[in-house]
Amino acid sequence: MTEMGSAEKDLKTAADIVTEYDLTLTAEEVAEVIKLLGREPSKTEAFIFDVAWSEHCSYKSSRWALKRYLPTTASNVVLGPGEDAGVVRVFRENGVGKCIAVAHESHNHPSQVLPVEGAATGIGGIVRDVYCMGADVVGCLDPLRFGDPEGDHGHRTRSIARGVVDGIWRYANPIGVPNLGGDVYFDSCYDDNCLVNVIALGIVDEDKIVRSAVPRIAHDVHYFIMVVGKPTDDTGVGGASFASAVLDDEAEESKSAVQVHDPFLKRVLTVANKEMLRRARERGIEIGWKDTGAGGLAGATSELAAAGDLGAKIYLDRVPLAINGLPPEIIAVAETQERYVAAIPAFFADEFTEIYNEIYDLPRVFPGACAAVIGEITRELEYEMIHGEEVVASIPLDALTTGPAYKRPTVPASPPIEPEGPQPVPGEPGKTLLQLLATPNVCSRRPVFDHYDKNVQGNAVIEAGESDAGVIAPWHGSRRAVAAAADGNPFITRLDPYAGGAHAVLEAVRNVVAVGTTPICITDCLNFGSPEEPEVMWSFVEAVRGIGDACRAVGLRGSDGEPLPIVSGNVSFYNQSETGAAVYPTPVVCVFGYIDDIDRATAGYLQFPDNALYLIGRRWGEMGASAAYRLDGRWGTPAPRPRFEDERLMLQVVLEVNETLLNASCHDISDGGLAVCLAEMVMGPSGAGQLGAEIDLTDVIDDNEPEEIYKALFCENGGYVVEMNQGCEYAAELIFEAAGVDWWRIGTVIDDPRLVVYMDGKPVISETVESLAEPWAGGLRELF
Amino acid sequence: MAKIAIIQFPGVNCEYETARAVESVGGTGEIIRFNVNPRTLSTHDGFILPGGFAYEDRVRAGAIAAKDEIVAALAEEVDRGKPVLGICNGAQVLVEAGLVPGRKPGEVEMALAPNENPDHAGFYCRWVYLRHEPSGTILPMPAAHAEGRFATDDTKLITEIKDKELIYCQYVRADGSGERVYNPNGSISDIAGLSAFTRPVIALMPHPERANWLYQLPQYLVGEWGERRRRARREELMGPGPGRVIFKEFVEAAEKGPGGRYL
Repeated sequence: MTEMGSAEKDLKTAADIVTEYDLTLTAEEVAEVIKLLGREPSKTEAFIFDVAWSEHCSYKSSRWALKRYLPTTASNVVLGPGEDAGVVRVFRENGVGKCIAVAHESHNHPSQVLPVEGAATGIGGIVRDVYCMGADVVGCLDPLRFGDPEGDHGHRTRSIARGVVDGIWRYANPIGVPNLGGDVYFDSCYDDNCLVNVIALGIVDEDKIVRSAVPRIAHDVHYFIMVVGKPTDDTGVGGASFASAVLDDEAEESKSAVQVHDPFLKRVLTVANKEMLRRARERGIEIGWKDTGAGGLAGATSELAAAGDLGAKIYLDRVPLAINGLPPEIIAVAETQERYVAAIPAFFADEFTEIYNEIYDLPRVFPGACAAVIGEITRELEYEMIHGEEVVASIPLDALTTGPAYKRPTVPASPPIEPEGPQPVPGEPGKTLLQLLATPNVCSRRPVFDHYDKNVQGNAVIEAGESDAGVIAPWHGSRRAVAAAADGNPFITRLDPYAGGAHAVLEAVRNVVAVGTTPICITDCLNFGSPEEPEVMWSFVEAVRGIGDACRAVGLRGSDGEPLPIVSGNVSFYNQSETGAAVYPTPVVCVFGYIDDIDRATAGYLQFPDNALYLIGRRWGEMGASAAYRLDGRWGTPAPRPRFEDERLMLQVVLEVNETLLNASCHDISDGGLAVCLAEMVMGPSGAGQLGAEIDLTDVIDDNEPEEIYKALFCENGGYVVEMNQGCEYAAELIFEAAGVDWWRIGTVIDDPRLVVYMDGKPVISETVESLAEPWAGGLRELF
Repeated sequence: MAKIAIIQFPGVNCEYETARAVESVGGTGEIIRFNVNPRTLSTHDGFILPGGFAYEDRVRAGAIAAKDEIVAALAEEVDRGKPVLGICNGAQVLVEAGLVPGRKPGEVEMALAPNENPDHAGFYCRWVYLRHEPSGTILPMPAAHAEGRFATDDTKLITEIKDKELIYCQYVRADGSGERVYNPNGSISDIAGLSAFTRPVIALMPHPERANWLYQLPQYLVGEWGERRRRARREELMGPGPGRVIFKEFVEAAEKGPGGRYL
């Protein structure tokens, strides 16, 4: 460790350190580390900073924009962003807040390199984030983006897509967490960078929330730091740094940065953790409890200590290892899966280890798995790691937690390139509909969802893939339920990032509203290219602005102007390959909804013959980035403009009608527009719907011109189709009218499985359910 | 009140909802860890092996758990006439332990082999229709497994199974007709659930605990249960679903005690 030299000399030394240890930090950042420490970092320290200051952990490029644009507080928020999971109070029972805990992350780079392991550990990490709040995980969702299965890299894309879905079910099914939904898009922009987002939902009583912080009482009582779970190995070294770099050929080989999953051990741990938390609670013992994710033990234990304004000493040779003789820097940062860390009072340590090592018999169940004391909490705000006799790290905690911050330059992104040649004339609507139903981005998601366990835990009310959102009733004995839906149309965001960000929120909101639930909070994951590229950074800022505006506009129903709060999220930059090809800007949001009686949970497909069908929401004919235009590779313009006031009115009215009259069914209008919405309502989730619909759009469309009819059927402006039970029509219409939304009675449910759409007395679409379902049901069957 | 032990092998994941289902028919559902003293089983009236992935399906689904000490103790309790129900992974354990079909108790005479489905590879989660043979009624419930195909190449065994009416549940069409049966995994003779030859043991692949309350059913189901689900309002949604009958007859058998007949 040398004396501090001149700034120039520091920069040279820093550059050497970057090369020597193969860091992802820049020389300037390492020079900053040297300045903070007053000396050169040791190898272990360099590794720790490389993770803590990575884009993935520090949000150094995105922090300012998130802070400026995203609303994160509302009266129902118990814990906002910053914890492992956000916690939102849903209702109160006997004075106790009943909460949901939600987390949302990406696992993009690992899934591109090793799809099965990457996706599996994505699920593994996100459920740990929710478990460590003391919550029971009751569902997960997986928004996925893959390359073009028929494109130049089709073979690789297909194997990645299959591997990812495999990884998800091979992890989520064994741990007993049902899938609640997600979405899938395919486009060649994801050829080199697939996106695998993961979302977990848990439930927890407000008085049982466990914090990822050393409790205050540790200022006065001696606290130990424990590790529990899989013995530490050398997997996932630099995983967070790996996620913060462009994926190049070399990175494709850096498979050691990908973690290895073990759902079996996770399930056993989950059961044992429950018992440990119960005992601690019953005896009034305060603990800090955290999942071991990015940055491994160093990341988890330093954050645990820092969050409690205390320091920590970790004895690396007390860490149970899977491989003898691992060097200290690997023990410190390896992202070995299926581990948690805890800060517990020293007197609880024996009982703690007994629960895991004897009662649940971890060492017998999994070789080397156990609970062990690895360190202690100190009053100095210093983070120390000791290996044998040697102090291998000694870092002031604030240096770790206050990383660099950048406000990078932005330049408006150039619009996407239109294909050459004359614009195609709109075809026959019926034909276009059948074509759309066969495309990978519109067809049935069932071949994916059928791999996922959708009903384990027994809480499912509406299963993944059944309607617009998954609905579960996890509070046993009550009819209260929560819903979740994840969305993010990348084409709209590519065309107009602001509209795309807003659209992602509005679409997910419509989905939870369609199933009858009121939106209560949102999570996001922002998947972009390199923030160092001004066009990417501009798209990022625009999308974030769109998300923020949409959250404020939708608002928290029943509150006094509060926003729909964003309570958890993640930024994933550098989804870009060495050739410079970045993914389309892809903000993915998940909206959670609540309903106090599953009686009003609404299916997204037709229920009873002779019921009336209503269209809510004007067809503005904004075709930009629509699935119909994309059939010919066209982009068009403009993208569906977010009309915040209209959206707010529509969601109010759909919920109000459902609350007073009970919607028989309801489906939102999104990809593929009104035509695809109606087709999905008649087909039902299995494609074997036994009812049909007779629709007349004469009043909806002003001009009886082919172009106008086409636009009305296929534009993706937000809206809903609602099925009302017989006898409720008049009352429903009064509600629609009073609310001031645009609405039309467009047709009737018929006892004949077919979709017929009339315009001025002439059928423009006339298809049987069988003919609709044939291309739709089989679209992804080959792939998965 | 019958006291039912639900055996928690490491890696099972349906123990809690199974316990709730047992409680819904008036039994007591007690979750018993795999490593407790096996003698404690003698204090229970019946046993359920729940779904999941015991020992992460190492070797074959159910194979390791079948060798656990507690399963040997379970076999002794079965000999005393106490009933056992294995659901999904539990069914796999029972087959691997030679308890089902149990023509020669202790001998593995069948397998729950990987699914064979022309439309789908790997784990398959989907609602299927079963004919519950004791009552002849159609029960929709979810199947959720990768290895659920009852298989044997002993044709004589299948004949005996049919002769002795050991098929407990069979995959059928929603209307109960036997033609073009929807069989999700290629199971021989469309077997979804099978009882043992001489002892009160049943191995059932689909999940009755996920169809134990009406609200758990999707609204698109065809037939009587689908109609009932679509029309159900408020408190009716908390009423019994098609899976309830499975738990009811199991707990009743446990209540009657040794000597009572399960099927």
